[in-house]
Amino acid sequence: MTHRLALLALAAVTGLPTSVAAQTAARTTAKSAPKSSIPHTRDGKPDLTGVWQAGSTQRGNWEEANSGLGVGGTGRNPSAAAFPSFNDRPADSEAAPYQPWAAKKVLEAFNRRAIDDPSALCLPLGVPRLALLGLFPAQIVQTPKQIVILYEYMSVFRVIPLNAAHPDDLLPSYMGNSVGHWEGDTLVVDVIGFNDKTWLAGAGTFHSDALHVVERYTRIDRDRINYDVTIEDSKVLTKPWTIHSSMMLREGTRLEEYVCAENNLDPGQYEKLLKEGVKFTRE
Amino acid sequence: MLAPIMCCLVIPLPAHHSFGAEYDTSKPVQLTGIVTKIEWTNPHSFLYVDVKDDKGSVVNWKLEGYPPGVLYRTGWRKDLTVKVGDTLTVTGWRARDSTNLAHSREVTLANGKKLFFGPPGGTGDGGSTPAVEVK
Repeated sequence: MTHRLALLALAAVTGLPTSVAAQTAARTTAKSAPKSSIPHTRDGKPDLTGVWQAGSTQRGNWEEANSGLGVGGTGRNPSAAAFPSFNDRPADSEAAPYQPWAAKKVLEAFNRRAIDDPSALCLPLGVPRLALLGLFPAQIVQTPKQIVILYEYMSVFRVIPLNAAHPDDLLPSYMGNSVGHWEGDTLVVDVIGFNDKTWLAGAGTFHSDALHVVERYTRIDRDRINYDVTIEDSKVLTKPWTIHSSMMLREGTRLEEYVCAENNLDPGQYEKLLKEGVKFTRE
Repeated sequence: MLAPIMCCLVIPLPAHHSFGAEYDTSKPVQLTGIVTKIEWTNPHSFLYVDVKDDKGSVVNWKLEGYPPGVLYRTGWRKDLTVKVGDTLTVTGWRARDSTNLAHSREVTLANGKKLFFGPPGGTGDGGSTPAVEVK
């Protein structure tokens, strides 16, 4: 009996529609497939569904990939983690091509040790900064018509309709407006409609409301998505800024609640230090 | 009645050379004491520990660390891993204003098990490399 006939027979016996029987068979097949295989959806696209950790290249579940040195470090001292914090320029990326006046402003924020970080006020990180953050997982839910990304950090989400145009009545927002399409096996997401209140990637990397981000998600094997970003902002940058990062599959990890406003003491502490004249800025 | 193990503020020798806005990584601390309270809160959790200072007085230290979700993934279980009254040792870095506040990193439980309660020193202080080139 051929595989297809077997499915039809299974559908007849169980009373389930063929598609459900096929789905069950597909899941069983996926389970026993070699580790290197890339899961695909029924419409033939690479399936990005799952819980992912950004900024890492380590395989394994969360505990395996983050044991030893721990997570969330700056990579500066012996006890630091293997991947940088969201205040650093992502590893192996070029320096941000800011216009001279804007570069000065970025450096000022860096020298103030990022106390102006929007996240210290519990605000969403924006794109791509949130998509580069490794301390907290993100969950991708993929359907044929839209893709949803749920981020644990600040409990924000992105709904990404596929093959759709941006609305022409956008309100400026922290996470922008995303639309996506498939280019071969790469999901391309176009994001506009930002406010000017987030940072791009690293301390002080401000932008204007002219920000335009293009993200490319390519699942290159079972465990890894290559995440490539092009950032355009003609008001502050001299040319597009490209960043290359990755996301690693973290099976068994679940998203936890993150209610930042619960007990946020940072702004008060910074204000207190400044009032007391405590010197903490870089020279 | 406080347990007799509760003692000792130790300043380890290895110097850290990064600075946080709130915590000074040139001021590492190691504290051993008794847990008086744990706040499992976002964006950061806090561990409160009674520590006997070098004059014999008991001082309550406040230690900042990871949020609950990260603690969970780091191996902590609320109300199981550490309870009020437990003795433990914490390493970290003092606040720049020299109050009894510190950024915690590694916690050693009474049974010898070690767990991270917070990130490495300097985390959240703007990073190690500016995003722009410095000429």
